[in-house]
Amino acid sequence: MFGRSRSWVGGQGKAKNIHSLDHLKYMYHVLTKNTTVTDHNRNLLVETIRSITEILIWGDQNDSSVFDFFLEKNMFAFFLNILRQKSGRYVCVQLLQTLNILFENISHETSLYYLLSNNHVNSIIVHKFDFSDEEIMAYYISFLKTLSLKLNNHTVHFFYNEHTNDFALYTEAIKFFNHPESMVRIAVRTITLNVYKVSLDNQHMLHYIRDKTAVPYFSNLVWFIGSHVIELDKCVQTDEEHKNRGKLSGLVAEHLDHLHYLNDILIINCEFLNDVLTDHLLNRLFLPLYVYSLVSPETSEERRINPQVSLYLLSQVFLIIHYQPLVNQLADVILNGDLSVFTPQTDVHKNMQPSAGGVRRFVKPPESLERSLELSRHRGRKRTQKRPNYKNLGEDEDDERAVGGSGGSGGGLEEGWDDDSCREREKGKGTEGIGGAGGSSKGSRASGETAEEIEMVVMEKCKVSELTEQNITDEEKTAAATRTHTQKSRPFLDMVYSALDCTDDDYHALFVLCLLYAVSHSKGINRDLLERLQLPVPEQERSSYSQVLVERLIRVMNQAAQPDGKVRLATLELSCLLLKQSVLSGNQCIIKDVHLACLEGAREESLHLLRRFYKGEEIFLDMFEDEYRSMTSKPLNVEYLMMDASILLPPTGTPLTGIDFVKRLPCGDVEKTRRAIRVFFMLRSLSLQLQSEPETQLPLTRPEDLIKTDDVLDLNNSDLIACMVVSKDGGQAQRFLAVDVYQMSLVEPETKRLGWGVVKFAGLLQDMQVSGVEDDSRALNIVIHKPSSNPHAKPLPILQANFIFADHIRCIIAKQRLAKGRIQARRMKMQRIAALLDLPVQPSATEVLGFGQTANASPSGLPFRFYEQSRRAPNDPTANRSVFASVDKVPGFAVAHCVSQHSPSPLSSPSPPSSGSGSTGRCDSVTASTISAQSPTDDGAFLEHTPPSSSGGEGDGGGGEVTPVSSAPSTPALAPSLTPASQPTISLLTDNNADSLSVESLTLLPPADSAHLHPCASHTAVAQSLQRPDASIAEEEEEEEKREEESPTDETDATVREETTETTELATPTDDTTEDTPTDPLQERDDDTHTDTIDSPELD
Amino acid sequence: MAYAYLFKYIIIGDTGVGKSCLLLQFTDKRFQPVHDLTIGVEFGARMITIDGKQIKLQIWDTAGQESFRSITRSYYRGAAGALLVYDITRRDTFNHLTTWLEDARQHSNSNMVIMLIGNKSDLESRREVKKEEGEAFAREHGLIFMETSAKTASNVEEAFINTAKEIYEKIQEGVFDINNEANGIKIGPQHPTTSSILTSGQGGQQAGGGCC
Repeated sequence: MFGRSRSWVGGQGKAKNIHSLDHLKYMYHVLTKNTTVTDHNRNLLVETIRSITEILIWGDQNDSSVFDFFLEKNMFAFFLNILRQKSGRYVCVQLLQTLNILFENISHETSLYYLLSNNHVNSIIVHKFDFSDEEIMAYYISFLKTLSLKLNNHTVHFFYNEHTNDFALYTEAIKFFNHPESMVRIAVRTITLNVYKVSLDNQHMLHYIRDKTAVPYFSNLVWFIGSHVIELDKCVQTDEEHKNRGKLSGLVAEHLDHLHYLNDILIINCEFLNDVLTDHLLNRLFLPLYVYSLVSPETSEERRINPQVSLYLLSQVFLIIHYQPLVNQLADVILNGDLSVFTPQTDVHKNMQPSAGGVRRFVKPPESLERSLELSRHRGRKRTQKRPNYKNLGEDEDDERAVGGSGGSGGGLEEGWDDDSCREREKGKGTEGIGGAGGSSKGSRASGETAEEIEMVVMEKCKVSELTEQNITDEEKTAAATRTHTQKSRPFLDMVYSALDCTDDDYHALFVLCLLYAVSHSKGINRDLLERLQLPVPEQERSSYSQVLVERLIRVMNQAAQPDGKVRLATLELSCLLLKQSVLSGNQCIIKDVHLACLEGAREESLHLLRRFYKGEEIFLDMFEDEYRSMTSKPLNVEYLMMDASILLPPTGTPLTGIDFVKRLPCGDVEKTRRAIRVFFMLRSLSLQLQSEPETQLPLTRPEDLIKTDDVLDLNNSDLIACMVVSKDGGQAQRFLAVDVYQMSLVEPETKRLGWGVVKFAGLLQDMQVSGVEDDSRALNIVIHKPSSNPHAKPLPILQANFIFADHIRCIIAKQRLAKGRIQARRMKMQRIAALLDLPVQPSATEVLGFGQTANASPSGLPFRFYEQSRRAPNDPTANRSVFASVDKVPGFAVAHCVSQHSPSPLSSPSPPSSGSGSTGRCDSVTASTISAQSPTDDGAFLEHTPPSSSGGEGDGGGGEVTPVSSAPSTPALAPSLTPASQPTISLLTDNNADSLSVESLTLLPPADSAHLHPCASHTAVAQSLQRPDASIAEEEEEEEKREEESPTDETDATVREETTETTELATPTDDTTEDTPTDPLQERDDDTHTDTIDSPELD
Repeated sequence: MAYAYLFKYIIIGDTGVGKSCLLLQFTDKRFQPVHDLTIGVEFGARMITIDGKQIKLQIWDTAGQESFRSITRSYYRGAAGALLVYDITRRDTFNHLTTWLEDARQHSNSNMVIMLIGNKSDLESRREVKKEEGEAFAREHGLIFMETSAKTASNVEEAFINTAKEIYEKIQEGVFDINNEANGIKIGPQHPTTSSILTSGQGGQQAGGGCC
């Protein structure tokens, strides 16, 4: 504003259009009057420059004569003149901003050419700004970046001068490749990528880039990356306490940035450049630093990195870079190679001939990038035909020093490198290695096939005579030694496989799995290579798989299912993934029966593990469902996993580190439970998939089974309560409240059919919270939360409203019905979990118990049962009735379904005593005590229902399944006399029991458990594998039962013992204690009946 | 020069939503938006004051670099704040927000403050995305939201400064590791005595002499 007003005043004294040729002329006038920058005219000049920018852009869009004038008066020269006066930061920044804006906003090619002609822009590029000023640096590099975005086939000639071999834009930019400021480095990368892209169509430029800059730039870049890696490794080694996570994740991200950058260069697919880059990456970084570290003994060399770090980094390499010549060679060395790749006699690996030094070494480039660029420029001017590169430059200058090898020769020229010690070491090695790495390199190069032009020059100078036997380095010695005393020719692969062992921890195993996953998914790796090693190639038909690998994978799974297993969830998930990949060929599973049996053993173990944690508590259900959700909604993404630096540190258990649950060990009982649930899910799903069986029991709630908004229901005879729903934002609606087995719904009458209703809202009872409203006895506040899957989003309730009923009686009825429904819905799900875990299902026990308890409250159950029955009543006869039939049937059907699936569980529920040993016993008693505690409330319902259910069960086989169903939904039937207050006491009681149980389980049970579990499990696996090598998968279930029936005697003892200890342990009401013992036989009898009735429909 | 903190921002969003214009509008008020002239810039810096502290904002536009994956991911990581911009007159730019956000969440450090900006609010007649939709999207994804106009400068100042305030608060809460420069935050050289002088000079240049 200041400047603007001045320019108006300073103009012709009247306000005139600042966007005009005239105004530019005036600006020109100002410039001519102020050729020298002083404190006095500084502001004026800055504003003038700024205005010129504005006019030029306006001219570009509106009036080309502006550009003519600008060019004619050579106004750029003024800019340069001002710049060269060292006029200070203020003016500098303004000029750079102007240039930025100019080049960014110019839209016409011709305008651009105008600006670029006369070489002024190049003069500005090479101008030595004060780069210590971060703002100037930022504007400068942005300016270069803006220019690079304008590069194309036409404009490139303004920047690259083939006669003088100048390409300031590029060479000036890459000098900042290792600038401490990340944004600057990023800009440099952008510029280089833009340049490479354009160079594809410009042979001269391409040659220039490759011959003059590629080797210096790439060798320095590779060294820069390697130095970061070494720093990263140091960080890992010194950070067992997880103190430096910030720094570590920064370094990891930096490495990823580099890999992505390299990949971006490689996918531009400029063969010329890629050859040089591949050579440097492979022979100067990946092989000597990463791969060699896999096997080098701990003491051999200071500079190596830890094997786990190297595995981690290699996984990243394979996940990110897919350039065939690079990754295939790298994979070939890891999977096939031996240590000979590190010796100079590389005739075996001709194609991998390291051009930049005979021995594959991670060494510092002989000189800083800036210096090599300078040198190459001068040399280029002197004798352009020679096409020098930094290597022969080094030789020219330091011929006498070349004895020290490539590393040694660099020592003297070292500039600006932070890692002096490395250089020192390198030098030392040079002399120690008897002066010839350089020489030998040339020799081997001469014999190699990499007949690249770059090499030609070098080869002229090669003194082949220097290539003598004595050039043995430490590495070679080690290599030779290893070769002699191990017969294995694949030390790297051996290392990889042996690191899959998880007995102590899965630190290495996780990385190995990632590496194998990455290698097998890499597009750049030859399929033949993988197939030869029988490594899992996704989506490929095959008939065999690597037994070594599969056995190790299954062992990982087995370890994961152990109570004190040290396998993290991520490791397990990845193992499952790789196993599937290994043994699934198309739609077929080619797994051997032995392996399948072992896997089933692991699955069984996981079942036992989970049983130990199974509790009747509410929270178990929530955890169970939440784990299922997070497992299915967030499948493991290996690439994301390998971006997380936290897994680089030794596995830890504490959540205080902020590490994701799946990437660490569990901490405390809750997490152990969660982990057990997850392990169970994963192994179950894996086993089902390998046997191509569908999952029928999970998730517990399938969305397709639920009542949805806009469903039309037959509500004749249903119990409906009218209410006014006042939502939080003030909206009101008249609705009828209906409570179903799993859901509550709000309906409004359907206009066409009497007695039918349209669902306006349906929500799960289990996620509902009901509370009274303080000053209104007719109102309830109801909130239903949707379990959220997105951690960033705030959990929003799907319903949050006040329900106002006609009077407080109806209000209380509704409240009770909802509360009861909630409990019931949850209980039913718990039963289904119990069934899934082959634990005795509660409803049977409940019924029996309720029956035993009898009668007092029986009549009171009626009114609510009425509703339940009416809900169901139309269900059976109207199975063929339109919408409603399909919809309303759902909940009931779902239960029927569930019960029919439960059937195998009671069926095999002789198993709990046998295989589940202590844990099952405990669960049984949980059940029992829970039930007995609840019985006072539920009595009525049970009384009403037990007879029909039992009769039905005995009556006809098919109906047998339905009847427990019908009894199940009826259980929520409330005694109206029951005050809401009594419910908390119930849950309190159960909680108490559960709590005391869990405490007890911690103290009492484990010894018994472990004694039983381990031998049993291993026995199982062996037995299976021995018993039925050819048995078909379908027999699995029966097998299990048989097996379990084999050993009931001693186990039941254990259970009984448990039972008794427990009863004494628990200070539960006398009721319970007396109840407890009769429960068990009853239960078992009940189980038997189930077994009989349901034998036939057993489907899975 | 003297600032307590330096925050690095990036601006992301589809091309043509007015990112570079927003940037220029904020960093250099001397370029007044005129109806027949749109000027943008890819980099800008400006000093602001929050809680009595001088804070320098450095804003990097990522336009034109989308073709290189390495570049975008590095940019995200180096920034403490991101302005995610869409054009209220073009629904497709709004529809692409999810992709942008996924990218941002994936590559950035988890504390990065993201502000959602519906730009071109001056073009009410051509509006295709309702303000409420922007608000809902922001709420759902935990972003701050604002509608701006680079043309009329409405809310531009607020957008950048509110983002800075959020970052500043996070620093106060100790959420940001300010010693790790990779987070896009830098602690300034502390010269309390000279800061006022330098800042005034800065203001003249940066904010286009708004003082006069």
